Amino acid sequence: MKPLLLCCLALLPLLAHGKRIAVEDYAYPVTNPFIATIAGTPSDAAITLPDARDIEQNDYALALKKRSELPGVFYQGTTLKYRLAEQEGRAPLLFIIAGTGAHYASGKNELLKKLFYQAGFHVVQLSSPTSWDFISAASRSATPGYSPDDADDLYRVMQAVLANHPKLKVASVNLAGYSLGGLHAAFVGALDKQRRALNIQRVLMLNPPVNLYTSVRNLDRLVQTQVPGVSNQQTFIDGLMQRLTRFFEQQGRIEVNEAMLAAFQSSPEGLSNEELAMLIGSAFRFTVADMVYTADLLNQRGLITPKDYPLGFDSDLAPFMKRAMMCDFDCYIAQQLIPWWRAKHQGGSLVQMMNQVSLYALEDYLRDNPNIAVMHNADDVILGPGDLGWLERTFGERLTLYPRGGHCGNYAYPKNAHDMLEFFHD
Amino acid sequence: MTKPLHLAAGTSLLWLAASATAAPYQAPEADSDGFTRPLSTLRFNPYLDQQEFERASLEALDIYDPWTGVNRRIYQFNQRFDEWVYMPAVNGFRYVTPDIAEQGVTNFFSNLGDIGNLLNSALQLKGQRSMEITARLLINTTIGVFGLWDPATLMGAAKHSEDFGQTLGHYGVGSGPYLVLPILGPSNLRDASGTLVDFGTSQAVNFLNVATASSRNPAITGVRALDARSNTAFQYGQTNSPFEYEKIRFVYDAARKIQIKD
Repeated sequence: MKPLLLCCLALLPLLAHGKRIAVEDYAYPVTNPFIATIAGTPSDAAITLPDARDIEQNDYALALKKRSELPGVFYQGTTLKYRLAEQEGRAPLLFIIAGTGAHYASGKNELLKKLFYQAGFHVVQLSSPTSWDFISAASRSATPGYSPDDADDLYRVMQAVLANHPKLKVASVNLAGYSLGGLHAAFVGALDKQRRALNIQRVLMLNPPVNLYTSVRNLDRLVQTQVPGVSNQQTFIDGLMQRLTRFFEQQGRIEVNEAMLAAFQSSPEGLSNEELAMLIGSAFRFTVADMVYTADLLNQRGLITPKDYPLGFDSDLAPFMKRAMMCDFDCYIAQQLIPWWRAKHQGGSLVQMMNQVSLYALEDYLRDNPNIAVMHNADDVILGPGDLGWLERTFGERLTLYPRGGHCGNYAYPKNAHDMLEFFHD
Repeated sequence: MTKPLHLAAGTSLLWLAASATAAPYQAPEADSDGFTRPLSTLRFNPYLDQQEFERASLEALDIYDPWTGVNRRIYQFNQRFDEWVYMPAVNGFRYVTPDIAEQGVTNFFSNLGDIGNLLNSALQLKGQRSMEITARLLINTTIGVFGLWDPATLMGAAKHSEDFGQTLGHYGVGSGPYLVLPILGPSNLRDASGTLVDFGTSQAVNFLNVATASSRNPAITGVRALDARSNTAFQYGQTNSPFEYEKIRFVYDAARKIQIKD
């Protein structure tokens, strides 16, 4: 008995292996994960996608909250918008959930929409539950971050979307999400397994966080890199502006497009890895500031906006924005998410919470479930050591691991596009 | 869009070159699960938190805006106008006009604009640029049939934008308070005055007789406005942020600073 057991144990790692794409078999041209994260796939290495004008699509809005529930200053965000690209006749439908802070029409959502629309899907693009429009118009707690509740909000939105288009001929309902949207997709999939209201057929997670806390701490750390030239008189934004100016001076004209950005990056003024990381981190910090401000205001917590402060559409928000900018992911979790979670869900410690909101919570659902798959990159900046190992043990063959691509930088690369479509292919 | 052909080809080669020069990246040895630890290649600040991001963004967001209440009201009016009147009209215009005619309209008004670009470039004593714009005007007005077609760009004479606000900035005039102009959008006291001067100049020059014709036939001004909006990619709400006003204000200020220095 014992040798057999040992033999089985020795074979276990082999069985648990994901589909790893070897570096030699993967010609994705960007080797630097920070550039890949910012710039995505260069257009001459990318698949051809349909022009927006050739897609039968429209933006719609759901009114899930009463207008009076929201402060006047949010005149832009009283309804939740989404975009539906419609096929003629009967077709499978794909919901796409955006990543942290991104809204339904963000670049990655548009890219994925075009890819799947071209392959014959109806596509519905949804905002992330951490995006401002979703927090104000659709989130019942207005405190995003607790994945089970975020998934519940998303589920309600998805049902409302389907109810909004009774004439749409849907062959099957499928779900995909990138980045944090990937994590949400898994939670929605698990929820659907209990409720059976949508009967989601397949779920695809693209570059999801495994341990949410690892990911947000990585993102917080990106703005702590050492950037040369920063002094008491000069900030990194000043430095960036000066270098752009010098570059344009040298070029003799101002133009912003892919080729020009690539030329900038290969000029002497190009950015170092630390500065690229700083840019990525900054983008996320602006997102967190929106979240911090919105969650605080809607729940009247008084951390950013004083309680009962009269806000009209002409109020000066700059002081509140500045205050919100001081707060990073960690600060948001400590000041708003955990206190709310303790009150609403009788929560305990941070570790306990992170177990409930990360993929660990879904291990039973994810294991041996052929209808859910994950695609990730070996150089993704949101991962920590051991995360890919966990995915491999849980998903086995249903994990596809690409050697490059940074965070979500390779969706337009032919191999990735092909693999994504292949997973949904019957 | 006008994309310089010689640059558009081979962008991935350029990106490769980019990662080779400014940001060399050597992927560390992979873990047993394949993870290559990208963050381990970065140099971080030695102390726990140096607040560099906070300091930089606070400074960047500090833009002189004493009339913010009025500006925000106009901003909201502009958004409503854009959503209910301007964009539907633009979409209708795009729908009824064939693409090639649309491009012709864009080129025509762009060629008219080169008069102002030339004057302001000359006022800033930018010799080479003024020559280039003159060449553009000559080529596009003649070979390009009154500017309907844009052969100058194809010949390598790229478009430059210079307005009187930039000229003022070039000679050291500060931006003054931030302004949101009805329909025209973000500006400041200096640039708004510049816009007025540029408008006056174009009336006085009356190039191709368009200024006179426009005052007799307001439809020309209307088409010009539709064309201008059609070529502006911005859409209200696309920043997806409660701080859209503040973000636009920052971007406008930063973009103008770069344009003035160029």
